[in-house]
Amino acid sequence: MIRRAMNATLCLFLLAAWVSTAASQGLRQQVLETSLSNGLKVILLENHKAPVVTFQVWYRVGARNEQYTKTGLSHVLEHMMFKGTKKVGPGEFARIVQENGGQDNAFTSSDYTAYFENLSSDRIDVALELESDRMRNLVLRDEDFQTERSVVIEERRLRTDDNPKAVLMEQLEAIAFQIHPYRWPVIGWMQDLTRLTLDDLKQHYQRFYHPGNAFLVVVGDFKREELLPRIERYFGGTPKGVPPDQMVPQEAPQQGERRVSLHKEAQLASVVMGYHVPNLPHPDAYVLEVVAALLSAGESSRLQMNLVRAKELALVAGADNALVSKDPNLFTIAADALPGKDAAEVEKAINIEVERLQEEMVGERELEKVKNSLESGFIYSQDSFFAQAMLLAQHEIVSSWRAVDEYVPSVRKVKAEDVQRVARQYLVPENRTVAVLVPKVTGKGAPQPPGPALPERVIR
Amino acid sequence: MRFRLKSLVFFWAILTFLVSLAGPVEAMPPVQRSVLANGIVLLSAEEHSLPFVTVEFLIHAGATRDPSGQEGLASMTARALLFGTKTRSMNVINEQLDFMGAALSADAGRDYAVISLRVLTKDLVKGFALLMEVLEQPIFPGSEIQKEVTRTLAAIRSGEDDPGEVAEKEFIKALYGKGPYAHPVVGVKESVEKLSAESVKEFHRRFYGPANAIFVIVGDVDPALLASEIAPRLAKWQGGASTPATIDVSYERGSKRVTVDRALTQSNLVLGHEGITRGNPDYYAVTVMNYILGGGGLTARLMEEIRDKRGLAYSVFSHFAAGKHEGSFQIILQTKNASAREAARLATAEMERMREKPVSEAELGGARKYLVGSFPLRLTTQGAIASFLMQVEYLKLGLDYVDRYPGIIQNVTAQDVQRVARAYLHPDRLIVVVVGNLKEAGFE
Repeated sequence: MIRRAMNATLCLFLLAAWVSTAASQGLRQQVLETSLSNGLKVILLENHKAPVVTFQVWYRVGARNEQYTKTGLSHVLEHMMFKGTKKVGPGEFARIVQENGGQDNAFTSSDYTAYFENLSSDRIDVALELESDRMRNLVLRDEDFQTERSVVIEERRLRTDDNPKAVLMEQLEAIAFQIHPYRWPVIGWMQDLTRLTLDDLKQHYQRFYHPGNAFLVVVGDFKREELLPRIERYFGGTPKGVPPDQMVPQEAPQQGERRVSLHKEAQLASVVMGYHVPNLPHPDAYVLEVVAALLSAGESSRLQMNLVRAKELALVAGADNALVSKDPNLFTIAADALPGKDAAEVEKAINIEVERLQEEMVGERELEKVKNSLESGFIYSQDSFFAQAMLLAQHEIVSSWRAVDEYVPSVRKVKAEDVQRVARQYLVPENRTVAVLVPKVTGKGAPQPPGPALPERVIR
Repeated sequence: MRFRLKSLVFFWAILTFLVSLAGPVEAMPPVQRSVLANGIVLLSAEEHSLPFVTVEFLIHAGATRDPSGQEGLASMTARALLFGTKTRSMNVINEQLDFMGAALSADAGRDYAVISLRVLTKDLVKGFALLMEVLEQPIFPGSEIQKEVTRTLAAIRSGEDDPGEVAEKEFIKALYGKGPYAHPVVGVKESVEKLSAESVKEFHRRFYGPANAIFVIVGDVDPALLASEIAPRLAKWQGGASTPATIDVSYERGSKRVTVDRALTQSNLVLGHEGITRGNPDYYAVTVMNYILGGGGLTARLMEEIRDKRGLAYSVFSHFAAGKHEGSFQIILQTKNASAREAARLATAEMERMREKPVSEAELGGARKYLVGSFPLRLTTQGAIASFLMQVEYLKLGLDYVDRYPGIIQNVTAQDVQRVARAYLHPDRLIVVVVGNLKEAGFE
């Protein structure tokens, strides 16, 4: 693998020839979208820079497709997908992939459940065989379910219950949404986890796991004309299935600020604000990307410069836009207070930055700066096959993978006036929910007594 | 565009391997290696599919250089490189980097510091000039250092909210006693409070130098530019006469229990003891052994016994941290408090089984196939290739290492696995750290 570059010049020349075409084209020119005989959509992106491939199956099911009292069902089913089929025994799935030098995993969000195998290009059939098998032939055994439920409960304890900021985010979403299923956590409420049944899983699997509610994404070192017939061979025979109703009740407009405070053992106070915003394909979603970048992209961003450095109020501060969300979601701004500072001060300082966006027109150089950041970040993210596949798939879940090509041009089009208008329209108190973590440091099992407030000399 | 990973719930994700360096010949672009007049080792690998470049610059200024009482100094010095130069203030540097959409960062680990740069090809010259400027001409302003001290103290406190981090810190402290590996890289409250611009300047003067530094550049780099501008500029760097640190890593032996009582729903357990160096000839057999024990993700024995059969944990794995100096062996898991003792017992029993019985041919074959076959997956991005090359050079594995690796792994036998299990797993003298509700866990 590592050797002296005897023929570097030649390689360089050949690569350059390929790249100059690839880089100047959008993904529309590089991606092949097609459907199998049973309607299963397939999205293929060849990329030959490394001899590997990522194979992904995306199901259009997540927490948004669950019912109240059955939260966490999609994620538990994701776990059960590793428990075997008629052909593949429990625990065999990972063993087969790993013996082929592959890595496999899965993830669940509010909007989707995705499964992937990363393999050397010559082993892709392993993924085709295993994934086509478990799309229809999963065997759900009660014994496995009982054990796996315990695993998921431990997962919830690890991710959420013993993590103050995860609980804070869960609280924010539970308050910001009153109608839409985004109000419950992907991992599910603890009570629901203990009550789910094997029948719930079976119904969920039948309803959502079939070609009518899934698509494949493959990125990497393959030839489409060779790969497609093999995909057809493995997946083409799977019965189409009835696309499930994907309508979920939409949130009514918020009519005033909502607040929640969380009293929990923690070292630092913390604030997170969520504003309801539009998602793709609404054009304002791209403006909000720019707004998030103004606030928190890079060391010269506004939250970093002002909250973290100039005012020394926050240890960390950031903003995040929900661009690729199936339904309208939250634009969040979050910060952890430095010791000795309270959440109210931090919240006030965040509000000053939000008001600046509404009152002052952003300068030309700053606007150019954040667009450059967003564009370079987009280019850097293309380096990983996995990330490329994920980008295509997340856009496909929301609208179409083709929207990926719109990202940079749409961000580039944003004007200072748009930033101001969008900040005035969405980032207003009536449309926000504020969640505050109030550290509780008394009682048994409290964290170490916090040190004395920092000496004046370091506060400045 | 950032991925909203916070909203995702990942299935068990981490396959834990050591510095995993292996694979077939085609997996990476060709590499050029040269040694500059001032001692910098320059490694480059071209890959032109995207218009950007990744740089990793290793300097022998890690936390093992921290003076006693000033733990955290190496880390602070690295971060403070970006606090301003003779000609550019911190704000100017940050604004210029963000305007280019570039990322320049510096941080220290235990053994070395790394300056990293990611920049679009069109801005490579400017980005590289900035990197050299912060390296050669930092001014370490006192006011910014003081602010960083404040933030570091806050970050140390914030870390108390992460039970896994608390457990890890306690384990390292218990294992390494007072040696150069015993303290967290960022330091501890008492030492960080004492850090000052003066100590940072002195550390920079002494330890930031070109001898044996490793400069790795990967991606869309033009070899002509490398030869005409980058290499000559690097060769001009003088700096301190620092060489790789020679340190004596000592560790504590013998059973020990460390408990931290917290109002948590889970007990966070770390069980382990000293490990091996990367140079140990048994490293490869240990790699195979650990894969079977607890490194092989869902297929590992610890996962099977503790997660799959009993549902006691979401995550459980074992890990040998093998670097230039003696590292650690750790089993890490989290389980509801009431199961803590059972899980600890099961983990220990798996260590014993590994010592007592040879692994099956199926297990051995599975481990070998994964370790050899998965190599190409680890070299698919610029960042991964750059880190890999840096490690190959730092650990002196040789550029033919990857060609040799599959053969070495294929030669590991079940007898080797048992032999290294007996030599390097010590279930009879474990350091056991428990962070959780000790009463519920039965560890009071």
